[in-house]
Amino acid sequence: MRAALLIIALAACSKDGAKGATSRDGVIGAWKKGGLEASEFKAAKVDVGKDCSQGTVNKIDVLVCTFKSDAEAKAAEDAGLKWIGDTTGVSKALGEMLVVAADRKKVDAQGKVMNQLITLPAN
Amino acid sequence: MKLRWILTTLALAVTAPATAGKYGKQVRFAGIHPVPKGEGGGVCHIEAPHVHIYQPGNKLEYRVAAENNVFVGDPMAYGWDGEKHAYKGHHPVQVNVIASVPEPNVHYCYITGPHYHSFEPAPGPEFKVVGDAYFYVGTPEPLYMEARPTYIGINATYEPIQYTRPTVTVEPPSGWILVQPAYVIAPVVIDDHPGRGHAHGHGEVGVGVGVGVSVQVPVPSISVGVQVGGPAVIVAPGGRGHGKFKHKKFKKRGR
Repeated sequence: MRAALLIIALAACSKDGAKGATSRDGVIGAWKKGGLEASEFKAAKVDVGKDCSQGTVNKIDVLVCTFKSDAEAKAAEDAGLKWIGDTTGVSKALGEMLVVAADRKKVDAQGKVMNQLITLPAN
Repeated sequence: MKLRWILTTLALAVTAPATAGKYGKQVRFAGIHPVPKGEGGGVCHIEAPHVHIYQPGNKLEYRVAAENNVFVGDPMAYGWDGEKHAYKGHHPVQVNVIASVPEPNVHYCYITGPHYHSFEPAPGPEFKVVGDAYFYVGTPEPLYMEARPTYIGINATYEPIQYTRPTVTVEPPSGWILVQPAYVIAPVVIDDHPGRGHAHGHGEVGVGVGVGVSVQVPVPSISVGVQVGGPAVIVAPGGRGHGKFKHKKFKKRGR
């Protein structure tokens, strides 16, 4: 019993100590908290992953996908690049999440917003 | 002059791997880097690996890690206003860290004078901080000398750029790479009048010395500005070469 309680307590501590957003809502919330303007994110059928949502943040096309593991998210970064196409973009795994951004409207030539898209959820 | 650039271009063509992306026109980058003027100029702020549909502007300022072009120049020269760390002289750069890949991949920065990077060096005894600047005091891998003739031209890239360089007025620490006999850069003046029977070496040797890259090389001339493992080669037409290695750009500049 004591051991079980200890495990539960440790798990709780681990969760509290985890750094960065661990869910889609958490990622989008981090962007909004950082001052970015995020549109509604809708489920998207794409080749990047099975559980993806698409929207815009400060006029940049953004895809957020959830995977079962960090490794799966990391492995999907390449598929994210394919989704970006012929434009400036970034595809970055953040734990079990994958954030893909494509500047198709060319509104972020110096990448300041795109950098925030991958750094804000990690803080 | 033209010959030097032709040789540099050829060297880069041989040494620089292709970094075209797998998808369409994508070109991979990792870390911050200058944006070509034609694409808006300034500095791209994306720290993680990312893609653009343009090539790096100046290949002397880039190394390749995991197919990513990694900028190893001074971002302040292009208007960078983020984190910066002062260095003086040549030093290793862990480009794999910038590219977020685990496999060690060390290249070298060949900017001779005080300069900035957005990254700090790896912790350890190979760097000493003196006068708020990092000095490399370690022993470089053979790659350092092998690639030096190719990349030393980076100094000529920065010389005409007006920007605030770090002010480093302290004496370099003992063991600094550019005072180690094996790596010192020493210009040698060669007479451009062959047949008159003399070729002499004079000029300053060592710290803070120009490396030949900023020198106007008349025709006929020695083709490469720097020799591996040896001194820089400079052609002095009729003595006009005197005083060309004071390296004004590395003198004190205000912040």
